[in-house]
Amino acid sequence: MQSHTKDFRQGAGAALSDPKIQANLEGLYNGFHQARIDASDQTPDWEALQDKGRAIKAHTLDNLAYYLEMVERNVIASGGHIYFARDAEAASNYVVNLAKERGIELVIKGKSMVSEEMALNHRLEEEGIEPVETDLGEYIVQLAEETPFHIIAPAIHKSRGEVSELFVEKLNVPLYDNIEDLTREARDQLRQKFVDAGMGITGANFIVAETGTVTLVTNEGNGRMCTSMPKIHVAITGMEKVVPSIEDLGLFLRLLIRSATGQRISSYVTTVTGPRGEDEVDGPEEFHLVIVDNGRSKMLADPNLREALYCLRCGACLNACPVYRKVGGHAYGWVYPGPIGAIVSPMLTNLSEAKDLPFASTLCGACKEACPVKINIPRMLLYLRKELTQGETYPEHKSVSMAESTAVKGWRASVSSSFMMRLSNLGGRLLQLPFVRGGRIDRLPSPLSGWTKHRKFPAIASKPFRTRWKNIGKK
Amino acid sequence: MTERNEFFNTIRQALGPQTEAPNLTGTGSSALGDNSDAVSARSQAIQAYIDEQSGPLMDSLSESATGAGWKVARFDDLDKAGDHIVGIVRDVEANLVVRSRQDVLESGIVEAWLASLGVDVVPMALGEHSEHTVDELRSLAERADIGITGVDYAIAETGSCVLIPSAQVSRLVSLLPPIHIAIVQRGQVLPTLDELFTIRRRDFLDGNLGSYMNLISGPSRSADIEYTLVTGVHGPGEVHMILVG
Amino acid sequence: MNQTDNAVKASLFVTCIIDQFFPEVGEAAVRVLRRLGVDVEFDQSQTCCGQPAFNNGFWNDAKPTARRLVDSYEGEGNVVVPSGSCAAMLRVFYNELFHDEQDTLRRAQALAPHVFEFTEFVSDVLGAENREGLFHATKPMRVTYHESCHLKRELGVDLQPRSLIKSLPGVELVEMPQAEVCCGFGGTFSVKYADISAAMLNDKIANIQSANVDAVVAGDMSCLMHIGGGLEKQEAGIRAIHIAQLLDERI
Repeated sequence: MQSHTKDFRQGAGAALSDPKIQANLEGLYNGFHQARIDASDQTPDWEALQDKGRAIKAHTLDNLAYYLEMVERNVIASGGHIYFARDAEAASNYVVNLAKERGIELVIKGKSMVSEEMALNHRLEEEGIEPVETDLGEYIVQLAEETPFHIIAPAIHKSRGEVSELFVEKLNVPLYDNIEDLTREARDQLRQKFVDAGMGITGANFIVAETGTVTLVTNEGNGRMCTSMPKIHVAITGMEKVVPSIEDLGLFLRLLIRSATGQRISSYVTTVTGPRGEDEVDGPEEFHLVIVDNGRSKMLADPNLREALYCLRCGACLNACPVYRKVGGHAYGWVYPGPIGAIVSPMLTNLSEAKDLPFASTLCGACKEACPVKINIPRMLLYLRKELTQGETYPEHKSVSMAESTAVKGWRASVSSSFMMRLSNLGGRLLQLPFVRGGRIDRLPSPLSGWTKHRKFPAIASKPFRTRWKNIGKK
Repeated sequence: MTERNEFFNTIRQALGPQTEAPNLTGTGSSALGDNSDAVSARSQAIQAYIDEQSGPLMDSLSESATGAGWKVARFDDLDKAGDHIVGIVRDVEANLVVRSRQDVLESGIVEAWLASLGVDVVPMALGEHSEHTVDELRSLAERADIGITGVDYAIAETGSCVLIPSAQVSRLVSLLPPIHIAIVQRGQVLPTLDELFTIRRRDFLDGNLGSYMNLISGPSRSADIEYTLVTGVHGPGEVHMILVG
Repeated sequence: MNQTDNAVKASLFVTCIIDQFFPEVGEAAVRVLRRLGVDVEFDQSQTCCGQPAFNNGFWNDAKPTARRLVDSYEGEGNVVVPSGSCAAMLRVFYNELFHDEQDTLRRAQALAPHVFEFTEFVSDVLGAENREGLFHATKPMRVTYHESCHLKRELGVDLQPRSLIKSLPGVELVEMPQAEVCCGFGGTFSVKYADISAAMLNDKIANIQSANVDAVVAGDMSCLMHIGGGLEKQEAGIRAIHIAQLLDERI
């Protein structure tokens, strides 16, 4: 997918000034965010689960080549095909070529963030193949020709009225005024597609190395449809989704599902190991697993960023983030928004182009608190800020303005000693003279004017604390 | 270098020098460090436990399944369960019912229960068990009003049914019809997800994992529009769990 | 309690923002500590913990001032900081900043256990809530508590400020919705992403107003400067005060 990360400010501004988006984002705090808190509070030993999950992820990624080779052996042994794609383009080529070779005209898709990285739907359409998103939220987003707004609930930015109008416009159906009717319409529209599609494409929440099994967590039933109806099933996923043993699934399913929606379990958990058995009544005859790198190896190689690959894609950090809850998913400009997106999107596209993402955070730590595997996102944001400013590991992405460097040098001088602090105080008091009224400054000059648009600014004290200390003395 | 080898080369370079085989009994290596005997031992212990605790597990399942959105009903024996199922079929005025071919249903009890209602019952079967093709079976499942199955396991922690497709069990019988009725018998209930996956691991080591498995925990649902919960999106909107024993 | 050799000693790291913009908060903190029997010292050489530069990626420019701080407090006993974010800088983020400077890292890690945020010190170490008759009542007041992010999530301090507020006679602590949600300051974020910061601030102010209080209390002047600045601009009639000031008014 084309990256618009450098348009973050515009995107954020647009979201902030759109009352409909603001109203729809409101629901996140009491919705998914609170649901996760309730679910984790009600799970005995939640923190022990988190620690174990994190330890397993760390071990698996530290030995990723070993486990991916295990996946490979087992997928092949179960009668499936496996393709290791170095980047999004290679992955798309594989899928498109497969579809062409098999004469596929219609593809049904379950939710796959990696397929968004690949802009797979575009590629299929270019070849005259029709891709149809079957997850309700993705279906809506596809009709609207937009990108997903949230990892778990892609169309959460749209009100029912907007969805109704969208259906009228794109599907030529009456204007529905309730959500049950809209859902039924989507179900009816997609029913025949499920029957007619020659290929089902899904993502994968987990890949079990031990057995070569792909695991799908869904609620709607479209994941089951995509893996039961068409003759060919293709699962596409990032290489970091591996877990070692099938006995690890219980733990990870608890961590993922309770953190994503607060449910104890989703309506469906589906495991796929190769194509259907010879004597089975139904199911695909062919199974393909596409495992994608697309820049993940860069994060793997950087000890400061490797833990970003522990991500289960639950969306908890998005729901917890006070910035995401104001600007929503589109502002981040690429596939992954929110706190984890602020690391992954720059690293998988272009760090310096995406430099707003690591900086557009107050480092409040709500994301770290929410993460089921305790990923320390603020630490990585600080690391990326350091990289963008000082360019040590990624010198080609060093991207810092002269103005800011100069200001920091000035700051550094002013804090270099007590004397310099006193001098700066004096300087500050002189500079502020034209602006101070009643101990407050109503309007700061640019570039600080952003402050006073919304807040008063305090005047610098004429007697700073260090000066007063000698009078405070000892009692 | 082939594409595949290049892919792995990139990863190996990213990881730096390491021994080929990781320490499987260290922290974070999960259960892979266990050998087959250990898995068997665990699996046998589970079997003993679920037999001994079958009553309380059914109680616990009844509660969790209700919480998960199943309509739960419990009966001492299959006959009484049959009366209840007849009631459901009658209430929805069903014309066509599809069923799986698990042992509990193979004796033809569904046909017997529904005989007087004039409802067509089609076992989802291929080969010598039926004259239908795969496509015809799929059509029938799509037209059916109700799908009836047994289960391979149920899980008390999450209120789930576990269905493992095979020659006896179709993937679609519990997916396409708008109503799914699942019959759970005493002794089939596992306490948590962990026991299920230990048993499946034992199956895998025995060469018996199969190609597919579904954990079903309530009706098909979505909250994608305005966080509002709706059921019956693509899968069944009404699901009944009949506990027998 | 008299000033004997047994008196608890503490060196005040007053923080640059209090020193330069809110010295009265520093004075209030000193009075409270003294009233609790603490022998308060103030090292005049102190300037800044380095957080403004560190948070913006200028780690090399943050290091000199941070190093000086570690040097000056080495072996000096308790260091009390009336700011969650500055205390977190010393206790937590110096580990990141000096990750490649083993000697300084070791000394920063040796300093960390001696660094206390103000309410941690007053509540956990000095047990102020348990001292009979320590606080006297003034005119009754309703306050709400805003949880500064680093104080809560990096230092794990959320019970102590509340327990201190609740021990004040005549002061009613009213919890506001979303008390734990960031106010939107975030240092230069408040200027670089001013619109987002303002939107977060407006939510915080609305939540404060919904609690129907006379004042919002917090442990960080950075948050309070931002929240208070917004409250004043909106002429909300609600004070934004540091917890040291709230205690000082009644001690």
